[in-house]
Amino acid sequence: MDYFFFIDLIQSTVDGLLFGTTYALIGIGFTLIFGVMRKLNLAYGAAALAGTYIGLVVFLMFDAHPALVFLASALGSGLIGLVVYLCCFRFTPSNYPMASLLASVGMLLFIDEVVIHASHGLPYPYPSVFRDAIIELGDVWVRGDLLFVFFMCVVAMAALFWLLYRTPLGLATRAVSQQPRAAQLCGIDVTRVNMMTFGIAGVLGGIAGAMTAAAVGVLSPVIAMGLTVKGLIVVVIGGLGSIPGAIIGGLLVGAAENIFLLLRGVTERDIYVMLLLFIFLTLRPGGLFGSAQTRD
Amino acid sequence: MDFYLGLLQIIGVHTLLGLSAYVVLLTGQVSMAQAGFYAIGAYVAAMCTAMFGLHILPAIIVAGLVTAAIACVVGFPALRVKGLMLVVATLAFGEMVRLFFFNFSWQVERGGELIGPNSAEGFRAIRFFPENGWEIWHVTGFIWIVVAVVMGALWWIDNTRAGAVLRAVGHDETAAQSIGLNLTAVKVGAMTLGGLVAGMGGGIYAHTVTHIEHAVFGVLLATFAIAYPILGGLGSVFGTLIAVIFIQGFLVEGLRFLGDWRSLLFGALIVLAMNFRPTGLLGERMPRLFKRRGPDKLELKEAE
Repeated sequence: MDYFFFIDLIQSTVDGLLFGTTYALIGIGFTLIFGVMRKLNLAYGAAALAGTYIGLVVFLMFDAHPALVFLASALGSGLIGLVVYLCCFRFTPSNYPMASLLASVGMLLFIDEVVIHASHGLPYPYPSVFRDAIIELGDVWVRGDLLFVFFMCVVAMAALFWLLYRTPLGLATRAVSQQPRAAQLCGIDVTRVNMMTFGIAGVLGGIAGAMTAAAVGVLSPVIAMGLTVKGLIVVVIGGLGSIPGAIIGGLLVGAAENIFLLLRGVTERDIYVMLLLFIFLTLRPGGLFGSAQTRD
Repeated sequence: MDFYLGLLQIIGVHTLLGLSAYVVLLTGQVSMAQAGFYAIGAYVAAMCTAMFGLHILPAIIVAGLVTAAIACVVGFPALRVKGLMLVVATLAFGEMVRLFFFNFSWQVERGGELIGPNSAEGFRAIRFFPENGWEIWHVTGFIWIVVAVVMGALWWIDNTRAGAVLRAVGHDETAAQSIGLNLTAVKVGAMTLGGLVAGMGGGIYAHTVTHIEHAVFGVLLATFAIAYPILGGLGSVFGTLIAVIFIQGFLVEGLRFLGDWRSLLFGALIVLAMNFRPTGLLGERMPRLFKRRGPDKLELKEAE
């Protein structure tokens, strides 16, 4: 427990907290979809990845500005989110949850394979900003690109909160997630709200995917599985259906992951993150912010 | 000919994997942990024969029992949560098992060379069959005897009160609880039984391929495990068998000329199947042809 170890620990925690915002975004996406549909969309991480690749195509073909690349990633992912809704959730029976779950798994495999096919499975460089900027706080360094990732994710969350709590669409979304039938009686088109939610969640996923790729610097199909699994863990830790829970869960997972990386090395890192999940499941099955009612 | 016997072996072990998920799915739980159980079975059985010189039959039984015990232990915390949370919990468990074997290294010296799981390199030289002079058709026959025994046992369970209990929990938990069924016991029991079957399947799998490594037992395998019974239909064990034959026999081997595009087709097929036939190929009920007179009256009528 010397001084340098302590600095390393703080450094890891800071990096993890900054990067954890991407997990938080993915977690929010899962939670939003679960909130309105009471169903799990396992194709979500893959859709986020595919959107990020759309951004990459824009980057490679037009050599576009990073801002434009990020925008294309977000919008592309939103669009794919809509496709996922139409293919997996719109026409499967609502009282048989296994059907839509398996359909979304099928979609996950499909999107993953399309991406691998299109990119030949090779990693591509992804644009990032403020790569060389480093803010020094004493002995702790804050990487500029991670700070940018953090900033972008916070902006996305703020926009989401504005959308949910200040617009009619947000009101409708919250109504559907509280009581679908009552919302329908009030004249809310549930199908439209569901579709919008998939689109919005897709955009959030696209931002998370783009930010992950920007922080790593390269984009490869491998990150889809990481995004899916980490996003789900975040949701369980935070509580299904709770947006603040997803944010706290994301930061927690991000920080824990980096600390385990420092303490136990890269091959064992994820084991401990999974163990964290199991501890939460045993001690607090509803998650940090989940109420008893949101437990399926 | 050897090619077709090899294909039959693949279909056999995947049927066991699918059946292990089938048992758990009957209680309405979607478990993504089956690939993890399969991995545990594979490593334990391989260790029994390659490192300690056991015969294959006791080895797979030991593998099945060890896996069942682990499944039982995992079942208690995991089944405190329902439905969707369970998917996440079991997914995490499966990944945890895979990462455990990724880091697991334990080798003993046998016949002048080191044998045993060696972390990322995997477990090489599981040569029980060639060492004991088993021909390929011996192996295939052995696998299908095991598959037949397991399928027969599950078919029998399905037709007894136990099967009705499993399905009752799967259809409506509240109703099942109100007629005095212990939900936790039923679910953990199904999980344990699923673990037993998956462990045996994994044990056989390890011996047919002679080399196992962690990467095989990933999320994709877990997906296959639950896809078989859901695609085939939860009416009876035959749904799983038909789905495995279709996917492994037709989609993977039959369409080999399509190359990598097959895996694309697989995902698209699942999406299509779930849209047009959400309850699976053979549906949710037992096929009429196989119905007996006795248990017929016990069958649950679905409440709309």
